[in-house]
Amino acid sequence: MVVLEFERPIKELEDRIGELRRLAGPSEELQGEIARLEEALEAAKRRIYTNLTPYQRVQIARHPDRPHFEAYVDAIAEDFYELSGDRLFGDDPAVRGGFARVGEHRVVLLGHDKGSDVKSRVKTNFGMAHPEGYRKAHRLYELAGRFGLPIVTLIDTPGAFAGRGAEERGQAWAISEDLMALAGVPVPVVSVVVGEGGSGGALAMCLADHVVMLENSYLSVIAPEACASIIFRDSGRAAEAAEAMKLTARDLEAHGIVDEVLPEPLGGAHQNPDAATEAVAGAVRRALSGLAGKDPAALVESRYERYRRIGAHVAGQPG
Amino acid sequence: MAARGARGAGRSEGRYEIRHWLSKRREYARPAPETESGLGPIDGVFTKCEACNEPVYAKDFEARYNVCPNCEHHYPLAAPERVRLLADSGSFEEWDGGMVAGNPLGFEGYEERLEKARRRSGLEDAVLSGGAAIGGRPVALAVMDFRFVGGSMGSVVGERVARTIERATERRLPLIIVSASGGARMFEGIYSLMQMAKTSVALARYRRAGAGAYVSVLTDPTFGGVTASFATAADVIIAEPGARIGFAGARVIEQTTREKLPEGFQTAEFQREHGNVDRIVHRLSLRSDLERVLGYLAW
Repeated sequence: MVVLEFERPIKELEDRIGELRRLAGPSEELQGEIARLEEALEAAKRRIYTNLTPYQRVQIARHPDRPHFEAYVDAIAEDFYELSGDRLFGDDPAVRGGFARVGEHRVVLLGHDKGSDVKSRVKTNFGMAHPEGYRKAHRLYELAGRFGLPIVTLIDTPGAFAGRGAEERGQAWAISEDLMALAGVPVPVVSVVVGEGGSGGALAMCLADHVVMLENSYLSVIAPEACASIIFRDSGRAAEAAEAMKLTARDLEAHGIVDEVLPEPLGGAHQNPDAATEAVAGAVRRALSGLAGKDPAALVESRYERYRRIGAHVAGQPG
Repeated sequence: MAARGARGAGRSEGRYEIRHWLSKRREYARPAPETESGLGPIDGVFTKCEACNEPVYAKDFEARYNVCPNCEHHYPLAAPERVRLLADSGSFEEWDGGMVAGNPLGFEGYEERLEKARRRSGLEDAVLSGGAAIGGRPVALAVMDFRFVGGSMGSVVGERVARTIERATERRLPLIIVSASGGARMFEGIYSLMQMAKTSVALARYRRAGAGAYVSVLTDPTFGGVTASFATAADVIIAEPGARIGFAGARVIEQTTREKLPEGFQTAEFQREHGNVDRIVHRLSLRSDLERVLGYLAW
C-alpha cells in the first residue's frame, strides 16, 4: 500500500513491530517490547489520523488504494446495467453509468472512474473526463428525466481534462449543458463526493438535491497546487492554499454547501474499503427514500432555491 | 438612474485606458511582437499597436472602441465602453449597483485586491448589468470587465448575472451577456465554483419559461468557469475576431500534456471551425449584428 509522507511514523512503527516479531519467533523474550510498540502505534495512528490537515485529507482523497467506482457500484447497486457512449463522438471510460437497482429504487447511476490498477488508470485517464464523458452524462440525465428515474452520481475526479482534443470538442460547452440539464431534471438527484471533487468537472455531476461527502474527500474550485502557484506564485505552498480554500467536507458542511458528511475508517477509506462503500450505500438509500414521491416541479424549484442563495456579496439596490 | 457607462469614459481617461490595455495585454498575451520603445503613447498623441507594430493615432483607437485601425486587432474593452457601444444612447439603466464582494473564506489579501481593482477600474466588481435598449428593443444586458481581477467570477458576478437573468425571465426580455473572464475567483473558493451552479439554475429557468432569446458574446479572453457555465449555454453564440476562448488555458494544456498546440489554438476562428461558436463579428458591427439576430428571436 502507498504510504503518504505524514504516515511515515506509523509505517516505521509497523515495520519495527514486524521486524521484532520475526526476530522473536516463538520466544517470549521480546513480547514486552512488541506490546509497547503496538501501543505506540495505536497512539500514533490516533494522533495523526484525528488531526489531519486539509492538505493531508486531499492526499487521502487521492490515495491510489482508495475505493473507486466499481467498488461503490458493487456496494450500492444490484444489477448495474451499464450504458455507453455519447452518440456523438465516442465512449469515455472516465465517466461510467447506467441503470441500477438500489434497494427498492430503480435509478440512473453514474460516476467518475479512476480505475484500480495501472492499466485501468491509464484507460480512464485518471478520472479526468473529456467532453464525450460529460455528454454521456447529459444523455443519462435526459434519459432519467424522461423515465422518472432518480439520478445518483459518484464524484471522484481531479478535474475535467485539459487537453487539445478536449478543447476542440468543446469541454466548456459539454460542462455548461450538464449544469443546465441537472438544473432542470424533474427527478431526485443525489450526489456523493467519494474522492476528489475537482472544479467544474465535478460540479457537472453534482448539482444535486442532496450532496454527501466522505470525510476525507474534497470539493474545490481549483487544485491546491494550482491555487498556490497562482496566488502565492509557489506550487510548494499547496498545504497553505488547501487550508485557505476551506475545501474539506467538514468546512463545506459548515458553509452550508453540502448536506451530510460520512465518517471514514481511521486513516481513510482505503484502510477499510468495505466499511466506506457500505457507508456510502447506506447514505444513498436514505437520501433516495427521503426524496421519493416528491413532486417533480417542487424538486426542481427547491434545487433552484438551494443554488440560488449561495453567495457572499454585500448589499446592492434592486433594479 | 443615469448611464454609468456613458459617464465613466471621459476623454481625459481615454488615453490612460489605452496604455492600460496595452500593458495589460502584454501581461497575458502569448508571444507578441515587442515594440522597441515598449508600449504606450509615443508622444502622447500616437500609440503603438502591439499586434501590428504600427503607430496608431490614439483618438482613432478610442473612437474605434479599442480596435486597431491598421490591423483590426481587438483589444479588451472596459465594461462601460461596451455598454456605450451596444446600448441605444441614454437607454442603459444599471441594476444592482453598489453590490460588493464579501470575503467568505477570510482569504488573506483579498480585500486589498478588491480595493485596488475598484480604484483602477472604477467598477464595483467584474460585471456591469442593467436594462437597456438595442435598436429600440428592450433587453437585459450584462457585460464583464477583464480589468477587474481578470474578470474572475466570484459571488458578485454570479449574483448580478443571476439577477439579470431573473429580470429577463420576469419581464420576458431578450438576454445579452458579454463575457471576458480568466475563470473562477480563487479567493472565494467554493463560493466561486458555486456561482457556476447559481447562474445555471437561473439560466435553465429562463430557458424553461421560454422567456426570450439568450445571445452570448465571447470576447478576449473567456475561460474557465465562465465558459463552462452561462457563457456557452446560449441560443446564439457570437465571438469577437481573434478572441481567445476555452476551458483550460493554453499554458496549462502545454504543461499537462506536453503537446505542441497549433497556431491559432482557442481563437474565435478555431472555435467556429470546431463548431463551438456561431459567428465571428467585428466589434464595430456588433450592435447591428445583435439587432439582426434579435429581429429573428425577440418579440
